[in-house]
Amino acid sequence: MGNLVEIENLTVAFRSKRREGFFRSGPSLKALDDVSLTIGENETFGLTGETGSGKSTLAKVLVALYKPTSGTVRFLGREINYKNRKDIAFLRQNVGIVFQDPVRSLNPSLTVKEVITEALIASKSIPKRDYDERINFITKLVGVTKDLLPRRPRELSGGQRQRISLARALVVPKKLLVLDEPTSALDVSIQAQVLNTLKKLKSELDMSYLFITHDINVIKYVSHRLGVLFYGRLMEVGDTRAVDTEPKHPYTQSLISHVLTLKKAGLQETVVSEHRPAPSGCRYRIVCPAAFERCAAVPSWVDLGGGHLVSCFLYDHSSGKENRALLPAAATTGGELPAPLRRPS
Amino acid sequence: MRGETVESSRLAVDGLGGAEGRQTLVPEAGGRASGVAPFTGASSGGNLLEINNLTIDFVSVDGRVRILNGVSLTAKKGEVVGIVGESGSGKTTLGLAILGLLDSPPAHIVSGSIIFEGRDLLKLKPDEMEEIHGTGMNMVFQEPLDSLNPVYTVETQIAEALKVQRKRQDSPVQHEAEGETRNLITDLLRNLCIDKPEEVLERYPHELSGGMRQRVAISISTIEKPRLMISDEPTTGLDAYVQNRILGMFSAQRKIGATLLYITHDLTIASQICDRIYIMYAGRVMEAGETRGVLQESLHPYTSTLVASVPHGFEDAPPLAVQLGEPPDLRNLPSGCKFNPRCAYAKDICKETEPNLEEIFGGRYTACWRVDKEHGKFS
Repeated sequence: MGNLVEIENLTVAFRSKRREGFFRSGPSLKALDDVSLTIGENETFGLTGETGSGKSTLAKVLVALYKPTSGTVRFLGREINYKNRKDIAFLRQNVGIVFQDPVRSLNPSLTVKEVITEALIASKSIPKRDYDERINFITKLVGVTKDLLPRRPRELSGGQRQRISLARALVVPKKLLVLDEPTSALDVSIQAQVLNTLKKLKSELDMSYLFITHDINVIKYVSHRLGVLFYGRLMEVGDTRAVDTEPKHPYTQSLISHVLTLKKAGLQETVVSEHRPAPSGCRYRIVCPAAFERCAAVPSWVDLGGGHLVSCFLYDHSSGKENRALLPAAATTGGELPAPLRRPS
Repeated sequence: MRGETVESSRLAVDGLGGAEGRQTLVPEAGGRASGVAPFTGASSGGNLLEINNLTIDFVSVDGRVRILNGVSLTAKKGEVVGIVGESGSGKTTLGLAILGLLDSPPAHIVSGSIIFEGRDLLKLKPDEMEEIHGTGMNMVFQEPLDSLNPVYTVETQIAEALKVQRKRQDSPVQHEAEGETRNLITDLLRNLCIDKPEEVLERYPHELSGGMRQRVAISISTIEKPRLMISDEPTTGLDAYVQNRILGMFSAQRKIGATLLYITHDLTIASQICDRIYIMYAGRVMEAGETRGVLQESLHPYTSTLVASVPHGFEDAPPLAVQLGEPPDLRNLPSGCKFNPRCAYAKDICKETEPNLEEIFGGRYTACWRVDKEHGKFS
């Protein structure tokens, strides 16, 4: 499985507009900080994190709505120069995007057919005589019935709108589809239908997904590999099953233990402190129960084997095992190691 | 600031029009005539809230749409009752109707009663209703920006709630030095799991994150110590941590014996905090009962659909077991059971006659032809 997308050391900074307080530290805010990841062909890469962790920023970089401040993005082996129009056109021709809000992402004055046709016109790669054929093909695949084509978005339900967003993104064949919270605004039974459609589409259209959501249950269900972002920094990347069953980073452990499922009985009686990113070093160290002196530096990636990477000083570089010797006695409670799972009470 | 607009008096109450009203769901004080009970101070049959056969239409130039159809619901004191449904199920309308916040027009109450502490809220005058708002019952809305005042700081708004609460309770402490109020509010917020409340207090609503805003809105509601708290999708669109924090606030309320009506579309959340849940679809109660029972042995196919819609397993898991179908169009509902176009078990009778909500076994109600009432089994 070759790599479709290779992102290396990607940083996206926004200049703040006289904003004091929350991010007082500097004149600019790094929405993404030194993020590296790859998306394989025919792979679904899940990206998760809290609100404000930079998930959507990454999505927008991949369709050139934002430019990277530094770092490189390679698509199909071609390095994208964000100042070069041809490169951007190349990127957009191969990458589709579906946004969260199915109301605001469709032009209210166009009919469904016009919305989808616009994407065909913009691509310039498909001859006009093939338009109808493409539209028929894709609407059937995403589950939009023919009677919806002359209607306008406001006449449709949220699930139908999101299917139309999908059709618009895919009417010109794409190599990568970026899904930015595609089901968060939908009803649960409609979300389930859309998730089923997405899985079916992927196997039929031979493409990759970057699936972004804060809903761990959803991301587990759709993605092969998973990346966890915390305030712009990637904390852990690996096979979804491995990350979910054996999370290594204290943040991932905490995140996964807070997922609500139907089976869990009763509410967890935990007090989670507010998450504040550290201005330097490991971003999670302020709230991390296992933080110690070394965390003031930025941890490098530790390969735990099988593509499971974690950015945490708790793990030893050479062996990939949890390095207990690194922890000073002061950081432990009652002579015992602070179990990374234990949350501050 | 909250609940000053009382519209209930303008709502036309038409006790005769409930021909389509369905069987009531009142486990204890059954068959209560609507709207007698002058205020006695005592709650009726242990029920703090009792909604009987509530039917509400929205009337516009395009015609009349039935938003709620014969909804009956009870909430005992100290109980957390979940109202679960998807868009168009009427769950928000129900919440607003209880508070008397529906605008009329378009809302038109066709029949039914909402009995809170022995009084029929639909028959109260605006000033009587205003006394109930805030400390009697209040509501947390989905979008906290709509319920917080944009031009006051968080501190001012919480202090106002505190003031109202004290006035209503005839608390001996009506005023105190400014510093003391502040300390009190800070403590309150800390108890509600807000770190560093001092920082939050000086902010304006727009300066806070969505999750924090919602928690401030909930703080205001809880500070008023309402006897009934209604919350409408308070955690929708928020991430797992914020959800946990907010649910933590509610479970704290629960511990101190508050009665809570929790409106949500998310079964996982309902399963965490609700004692009993009502599953709503197209303005009707489809299933009701004790939470665990409803989720583990669902009687109604719609409940099963909701349960099956929660993603589980990994990438290689089989497709989620849901039928295709769109949310109900209230203007154009099918005949018979309103869920029949999306139902895997739909038979002829489901398309012809609408089933009534009936008790199948101890405290479990459903409106479905598939359930054999006599044996409590699927037929």
